[in-house]
Amino acid sequence: MKYSEEFEPSSRGVPAYPERELRDRRLESRHVERGAMDLPFFLLTILILTIGVVMVLSASFARAYYGKLANATYFFVRQLGFAVSGVVIMLVVSHFPPTLLRRYSFYFLVLTWVLLVMVLLVGTGGDEVGATRWLDLGFISFQPSEFVKLAVILSFATMICKYKDRMKTFKYGVLPFAIILGITVLLLYFEPHLSASVIILALGAIMMFAGGTRWQYFVFGGLGVGAVGYLVVTKMAYASARITAWLDPWSDPLDSGLQTIQSLYAIGSGGLLGLGLGRGVQKYMYLPEEHNDFIFSIVCEELGFIGALLILILFALLIIRGYWLALHARDRFGALVITGITSLLAIQVILNVAVVTNLVPCTGISLPFFSYGGTALWLQLAEMGIVLSISREIPLRKKSTTGGKDRET
Amino acid sequence: MANSKGKSASRPNKTILGRTLILALVCGVVAFSILAWRLYKLMIVDHDFYEERAVRQQTRTVSVAASRGTITDANGKTLAQSATAYNIFLSPYEIDLYSHKEYKPNEIHYGDDPMLIATELNRILGADIDTMLKQMEDTKSWYKTVASKVEAEVADEVRAFIKEYNIAGVHIEVSSKRYYPQGSLACHVIGFVGTENYGLEGIEALYDSKLEGTNGSVVRLVANNGTEMLFENYQNYNDAVDGNDITLTLDSTVQAIAEKYLKQAMEANYILNGGCCIVMNVKTGEILALANANSYDLNDPFTLPQETLDEIALIEDPEERAAARDAAYFAMYRNMAVSDTYEPGSVFKIITMSIGLEEGVISEDDHFYCSGKIPARTIPGRLTDLNCWKHAGHGDQTLREAAMHSCNVAFVNIGLKIGAERYYDYVRAFGLRDKTGVDLSGESGSIWWTDDVFFDPTNQSQLAAASFGQTLKVTPIQMITAVSAAVNGGYLMEPYIVKEMRNEDGEVIYAREPKVVRQVISEETSALVADILESVVSEKGGTGSNAYVPGYRVGGKTGTTTKTEIEITENRKEYMVSFCGVAPCDDPEVAVLLVLDNPDPESGLYIGGGGMAAPYVGKIMSELLPYLGVQPVYSPEEEALLDVTVPRLVGSELVSAREKLTSLGLNVREVGEGSTVTGQLPVTGAQVAAGSQIILYLGDVPEHDPVKVPDLTGMKVNQARNALQNAGLFLDTSGASPSISGVVVQSQAVEAGTEVPYGAVINVTLVDKSNQGRY
Repeated sequence: MKYSEEFEPSSRGVPAYPERELRDRRLESRHVERGAMDLPFFLLTILILTIGVVMVLSASFARAYYGKLANATYFFVRQLGFAVSGVVIMLVVSHFPPTLLRRYSFYFLVLTWVLLVMVLLVGTGGDEVGATRWLDLGFISFQPSEFVKLAVILSFATMICKYKDRMKTFKYGVLPFAIILGITVLLLYFEPHLSASVIILALGAIMMFAGGTRWQYFVFGGLGVGAVGYLVVTKMAYASARITAWLDPWSDPLDSGLQTIQSLYAIGSGGLLGLGLGRGVQKYMYLPEEHNDFIFSIVCEELGFIGALLILILFALLIIRGYWLALHARDRFGALVITGITSLLAIQVILNVAVVTNLVPCTGISLPFFSYGGTALWLQLAEMGIVLSISREIPLRKKSTTGGKDRET
Repeated sequence: MANSKGKSASRPNKTILGRTLILALVCGVVAFSILAWRLYKLMIVDHDFYEERAVRQQTRTVSVAASRGTITDANGKTLAQSATAYNIFLSPYEIDLYSHKEYKPNEIHYGDDPMLIATELNRILGADIDTMLKQMEDTKSWYKTVASKVEAEVADEVRAFIKEYNIAGVHIEVSSKRYYPQGSLACHVIGFVGTENYGLEGIEALYDSKLEGTNGSVVRLVANNGTEMLFENYQNYNDAVDGNDITLTLDSTVQAIAEKYLKQAMEANYILNGGCCIVMNVKTGEILALANANSYDLNDPFTLPQETLDEIALIEDPEERAAARDAAYFAMYRNMAVSDTYEPGSVFKIITMSIGLEEGVISEDDHFYCSGKIPARTIPGRLTDLNCWKHAGHGDQTLREAAMHSCNVAFVNIGLKIGAERYYDYVRAFGLRDKTGVDLSGESGSIWWTDDVFFDPTNQSQLAAASFGQTLKVTPIQMITAVSAAVNGGYLMEPYIVKEMRNEDGEVIYAREPKVVRQVISEETSALVADILESVVSEKGGTGSNAYVPGYRVGGKTGTTTKTEIEITENRKEYMVSFCGVAPCDDPEVAVLLVLDNPDPESGLYIGGGGMAAPYVGKIMSELLPYLGVQPVYSPEEEALLDVTVPRLVGSELVSAREKLTSLGLNVREVGEGSTVTGQLPVTGAQVAAGSQIILYLGDVPEHDPVKVPDLTGMKVNQARNALQNAGLFLDTSGASPSISGVVVQSQAVEAGTEVPYGAVINVTLVDKSNQGRY
């Protein structure tokens, strides 16, 4: 084992904690042996993805058939293509060394900010009324907010690794993160994109929490976010309407309460065993967004409580496996990145299911691996690829000396 | 070495490690547990709630209207039946929702536009545009009827409009429409249904629950755009249970006969108020016909007669006008035969006679003397003398003659002999104080003196009045039921009109058996009553002679009353004339009651049941009895006077033709030379009066110009026959028997002065005017 030749004195003068910085540099720059990726995490991802693609077929064929496309398998075939290519992307990414991500994390963050600004200038609305969230590059269109989430994870992980013990101070442990989150949320506010803002705030908080920011700041932060949230909800018309629709969907059953009511009908009518795969009724133009944000309602309707629970368990296993990988990651950066990506996945899944079951106000959050959408799926699988990439660096436990020796050679 | 490195790397990670564990716990276990609990709540606990609501929106329930039962007459002829029709209605809520262009639920585009809908429906249905636009303003409503019971072709047009513009707020529902193939026939019996197909009158109303059936439904899953689902074809049928079919005892042929002659009687006698006619099977109580003069078209029951509308239009005060309209409807729908009471007059003598004979207070051999009046003093409580209709008096008469003469004096004496208590017992036994229980709606009870008043020994004027049917009031159905009991062997039957009910599978679920309420008089008494009633019609001097039908043993009793109430309160006379006939008198089968309310006193006609009602009962009997299969038996005198059917003679030898005609009681006039008949007048099959001269042509048959019908009114039969013969025409009679000496022509079927072909047969109605009177 040799230390890196790349070591250079810090351009920012004498480090405050030179010893530690040096060690980090060593860790970062040393040659790391990369092994096999984590098989349970990979298999869980593939399993969930497969179920998700099948559910896209079941959920979408009615609207695809009756709609202008008049092609029952339109969404399914496309989603299948995205899934297959997404898996390729995941496998490719799983070979990227994490150091690359660390090195370019801030460039990536700035790039996503630029994209967010571009959204404000030339973005398109997609299907949301009064909001611009999409960038259409002609051959492909995507929501930059998805990339911002990853950028926040990577840049926060990088920062936490840099600040280390200083994370307990306000200056290092709160302020830089708050500034980044502030800029990001401000850009999203102009779109506006409430759900992405909420997710990014939550994600940032989780990263800071994992990174060691003191408890007290979360109390203040929570109060601050609560106050801002209250203002947003009361000042933004479309947000307050959703609160009303959340508390009493039946107050306006044909407009603002429509999605929620139809979703509850789908879920509730599933019962214990469901109507059977493909045999749901709510997708026949009753439930809007049935193959996107509300696909889980169709899952519940068709596969029943047992099936829905099973899928939730698969997600939970994937998430727990993710945290397990984070706990076993070779280095802090890897651990934080996995924690971030896993938490992002968890937030999305939990919020999506909470939305379709009307636990929280209705907002546009897609269900990872299930909801129809190419770029989002690619990104999710790429994120899984990052986790797998980091998992390759987890040293095998010393089960036996021979095992250890094998690994060492 | 690896160990030390691991240690140094993991130390700062201690916080991260702990907090990551917390995250794993929160995001991986706690949050998912909450979600699982939420799913359990929605999918297991509240499953029924959501499933029910989901199914409600995912299914379309199409109501399958039960077909309302058919009403047929005794022979299976349809009187009322239902056919499919369609209701068109608006859903203002949906029109309002989908006419806003920005509202695009689930990417389905609707073409709802109030003005478009109103104009198109106006074009197709003729509905008023402003009314529809007003209906559409009530945007909370889902149901506003535009048109009810339209035909299938019209509904198809509406459907095409809905499809063309993809209209969400115009709907078509299946309904049914009631058809009455016989029009106004038996309208008061059958009744009709309202817009919702609920029975409003008659059998339709009384048996509504039996006729309506139970609507069914088809439940099927549909996509939210209304189309069938791709792979699911769940359908659930709830079969409609059709209503029961009802068979009436009513016979539409008999009904038509009754209605025809009721109408003729109304017109010929200038009847101002109303009239009704009931034909009843005396042995069973079955109603064969029930007709009221105030008939209306069942297919258009909400339109008043034009003259009534004109009268109402003249009323200026809107409230009075509305009241007049209500009263007009009430009058049009009123079933006089069961709902109105009247003073039966001398028809009631049948009852008095029956009681007297049954109780033995009189016998067939008793003699009654009529001086023309009963002095007031002989009747306790009576203030004025009681006059017989024949002021000169009938003199000495047997019971039979008293009945034939309809002698008031004799019958008052019989009544007084019977005594008030006993009389009332029988009145009750004849069912005249209770409703008959007939299965028709709106039956009234009768009006009688209270027992206290009637039984007062110091005042027997009520009993005297009751003896010849004055002052008391009964319904026509009560009267004919009581008369039926008097002649059918003494059994009071419960009259009925619903014979049978069958369910949709044709199984009999109700079959009416004749119901004997009680035996009122003995069979012997009853037979004697029937026999005496026959004399009233058939014998010389009988007051019912105008009801005579050759070959049939028709009996009956006339009735003429002045309305007591009007006489007292308004001091003027208004009459009620009637005739109740029974036949055949050796074994009565049918009774016919004809009641005519208020003949115009200024018409110049002599007002009386014998002259006004009896002839038409006779005409009804003359058609009814052959229809019922009663074989005519002619006496030799009758035989000689019978109408003869002219045989086919053309081509036969003159000698044999002459023989044939002579044997039929016809005379012959030969025209031309030859031995073979080449032509004849009148034509084969024509009915002519006996003794008519048939013209036989031998050789060339000459052409004849049309001839004018002479005026025959008031002529005796022979005079009329000759007058016609001179004109080259032939006579055929109906009405009273030509054998009665006083018989004259009352009316002729073809008016005087009308041109008819040479050799035509002219029918005249004969009337016996030998003993006119208010009997």
